[in-house]
Amino acid sequence: MSEREVTLVTRDGAELRFPCAAKDNVLAASEAAGYFLPAMCHEGTCGLCHARVTEGKYTMGPHNSAALQGGEVLLCRCEPDENLTVALPYNQAQVLRYKVPVRQAVIESMEPAWQNAVALTLRLQPDPEQGQAVEFSPGQYMELTIPGTDIRRAYSLANLPNWEGRLDFLIRLAPHGQFSTFLREQAKVGDAITVRGPSGSFILDESSVRPRCFVGGGCGLAPILSMLRHLGEFQDSQPTHLIFGANRESELVPQSDVEAVTAALPQIGVTLAVSAPEENWQGFQGTAPAALDAFLSQTDEPIDIYACGPPKMLEAIEILLQQRNRDDRLIAERL
Amino acid sequence: MFCYQCEQTAHTDSGAGCATSKGVCGKDEATADLQDLLIHLLKGIGQYSTRLHAAGTPDAAADHFILFGLFTTLTNVNFNRARFVELIAEAARIRDRVRAAYEAANPGAPPLGGPAAFTPATDLAGLLKQASPASVRAGIELVGEDVIGLRSLVLYGLKGVAAYAHHADVLGQTSPEVGAGIAHALDLLASDPTDVPVLLNEALALGHLNFKVMGLLDAANTGTYGTPQPTNVKVTPVAGKAILVSGHDLKDLHAILEAVKGTDINVYTHGELLPAHSYPNLKAYPNLAGNYGTAWQNQQLEFAAFPGPIVMTSNCLIEPQPAYRNRIFTAGPVGWPGVRHIANGDYSQVVQAAQALPGFPETAPEKTILIGFGKDAVLGVAGKVIDAVKSGAVKHFFLIGGCDGAAPGRNYYTDFAEKAPQDTILLTLGCGKFRFNMEDHGTVAGLPRLLDVGQCNDSYSAIHIALALANAFECGVNDLPLSLIVSWFEQKAAAVLLTLLALGVRNVRLGPTLPAFLTPALVGVLVEKFGVLPITTAEADIAASLNRAAA
Ligand code: SF4
Ligand code: SF4
Ligand code: FES
Repeated sequence: MSEREVTLVTRDGAELRFPCAAKDNVLAASEAAGYFLPAMCHEGTCGLCHARVTEGKYTMGPHNSAALQGGEVLLCRCEPDENLTVALPYNQAQVLRYKVPVRQAVIESMEPAWQNAVALTLRLQPDPEQGQAVEFSPGQYMELTIPGTDIRRAYSLANLPNWEGRLDFLIRLAPHGQFSTFLREQAKVGDAITVRGPSGSFILDESSVRPRCFVGGGCGLAPILSMLRHLGEFQDSQPTHLIFGANRESELVPQSDVEAVTAALPQIGVTLAVSAPEENWQGFQGTAPAALDAFLSQTDEPIDIYACGPPKMLEAIEILLQQRNRDDRLIAERL
Repeated sequence: MFCYQCEQTAHTDSGAGCATSKGVCGKDEATADLQDLLIHLLKGIGQYSTRLHAAGTPDAAADHFILFGLFTTLTNVNFNRARFVELIAEAARIRDRVRAAYEAANPGAPPLGGPAAFTPATDLAGLLKQASPASVRAGIELVGEDVIGLRSLVLYGLKGVAAYAHHADVLGQTSPEVGAGIAHALDLLASDPTDVPVLLNEALALGHLNFKVMGLLDAANTGTYGTPQPTNVKVTPVAGKAILVSGHDLKDLHAILEAVKGTDINVYTHGELLPAHSYPNLKAYPNLAGNYGTAWQNQQLEFAAFPGPIVMTSNCLIEPQPAYRNRIFTAGPVGWPGVRHIANGDYSQVVQAAQALPGFPETAPEKTILIGFGKDAVLGVAGKVIDAVKSGAVKHFFLIGGCDGAAPGRNYYTDFAEKAPQDTILLTLGCGKFRFNMEDHGTVAGLPRLLDVGQCNDSYSAIHIALALANAFECGVNDLPLSLIVSWFEQKAAAVLLTLLALGVRNVRLGPTLPAFLTPALVGVLVEKFGVLPITTAEADIAASLNRAAA
């Protein structure tokens, strides 16, 4: 078995346990497990991630010896050779542990959006311990529980982190979906709902210098809208393109949403792709993956592709990228 | 990328410098390259600006932009690539404006070359392709390490001067002499100088200029917020909503205090803003509750545990962890991609965030520390100090000042403060003080043994104190029973070092390591000509300092 277990012991005696694959370092493994320890360079130079191994053998990767105090290790370069126990020089309260918060919210509004979708807005209920802030990375989702049941469904947030406790979702009503049935038949404004989140790793890599292309199908537009709003709020200047695919024109995102995005991100190019359009359709005719293919033909530069939509769309994109065999990077979320 | 401007720069087998895809501080390759290009363009502005100054027609807005632009490139200030793309475009526009002014006043003058004639690309990809000639290492095969090291000393010292000048400038204290001095150094760097004495002289000239700049900054701070007074500052939290303000900028802190006026939000200082509590016009705000946390390298732990929004007004920022990324704001020259930036001094968003976040649930048992020993407070008790020295009750002064950092070698400063004998007085400034300022160091001859002079921005105050004591004892600064133990990290410290050298202050103990851009030959010059000493161990250095005083 090439996986080792790491036990971190804080100064006040709390134990945090997580697995660490062979050749992986303790810092990366702890982050994967949701424990964020102080770190800056991640390459054995700054000395910030120092700690003491009290049990177990390990190998130290390349590091600056001046950053290392006698008898200690740098967690970003410490690769366990067997199960490891590590004493941390700080208390449990100081480990940034990512616990997925569970909160109460109420339904503030439910409006029909396009074609079978509902724009649902929830408001967090005041909570003295957790406050009213909605904190997440654009692209992440929340799990909503159907009241009176244990049934949870995940939906991406469509708005931005905010201080007003506001959560916006774009939910497609599936004919037999349980949450859809709840929304259609039971839910009303003022109802309480338990929300759990944020979670998910469909998030922007803002350190990348590449142009970005967002590809959305159906309600896959929700997290993408959140990301685009975020880039707009931060006046991001990187070349950006949005492809939105639908079967018919009537299923396209409303023009007003597109205009809001282009106003905030003036450099953005938008392709609306419709696979079975009316006769006088001026835009791209074909699927979202076909539109992506056409977009890739225009550039030699490797790009970051953020895609969210139904499985069929994502599979087509994967095949397309394999065929093209370029240096592009796909960051995807399946609906 | 190549960057070796700070103390924590990478050391590998191929030498010193952050040269992979990311620096130790978290600055990525694209940002580093864009910073080099921005500096290249600032040199171009400097080429024209120095001529406009000589002609008596300076462009004040261009001078102001130079300060801000240089400030953004200091360590731990701005990591936001997109911001640099904008700043480069703005720099090119300003350069064109000063060029037009110069050419209009000098018809027929031969055009200036080098950075003055450089045209930056308009997109990121194009800019990155242009970066390598703008690197600090450019031309090393022709001119050698020593010249590159000296140019770096001038550039990094210049960055420090610009940062201080910018702090003074935002409070309305500026002088054409400062703009002229900075333009002169940029113009010199633009010529790719190779003459060692010329570069050394420029470094010392910057040291003198920095002394003036720090005088302006002192006038700006005390003129706006009053003369610092000895003050007990609470270092424990109080129940209630909370905002944390870090960095060095008193004006931003003041704006935040105004923004929370009439609310019950408590404002806490962090790191280098601790000295704010000693200014009468800031401490008059009832919302200014206390200080939270310590020096910059501990911010990930401290910010994550802080139950409210955090505002970073200047250096030193490190990568915001996911735990607080949504509630940290940057202001002024600072930036990080994806972190909210407040450019217009409107802090209402921060107030809103503070209301939405939980705040401290309870008040902790109170603990305070004593700060506020700027030059006026210390010289106010000068008589007592002089008597204590004359009677032998106080044997020696140690100024343990400067930056903090993450490297274990910085324990030296903790040890130093702990082990200094009881009949010595410790003066401190900068964020390095957090290694020992929560301890009780007792009193000697009725004076507190630890006197906190303020921020690194208050080095002027410390130098002033030393000069005044020398005057009172009718001796030179180097004959005083005073040793300077300077810890450096970033470029403001480089500027202060140049000031000390320019003023002829000898025997400065510089650590925890010497700047990587100084070659052995340059270190030799500093040691021989200026008496700079590398540190050894706290015990040995204390003994050596006391011996020198006795000799
Ligand atoms: S500022 Fe310091 S740590 Fe950052 S890249 Fe430069 S030398 Fe490296
Ligand atoms: S004193 Fe230096 S290291 Fe400390 S916060 Fe200020 S700039 Fe950063
Ligand atoms: S994070 Fe810098 S040494 Fe590990």
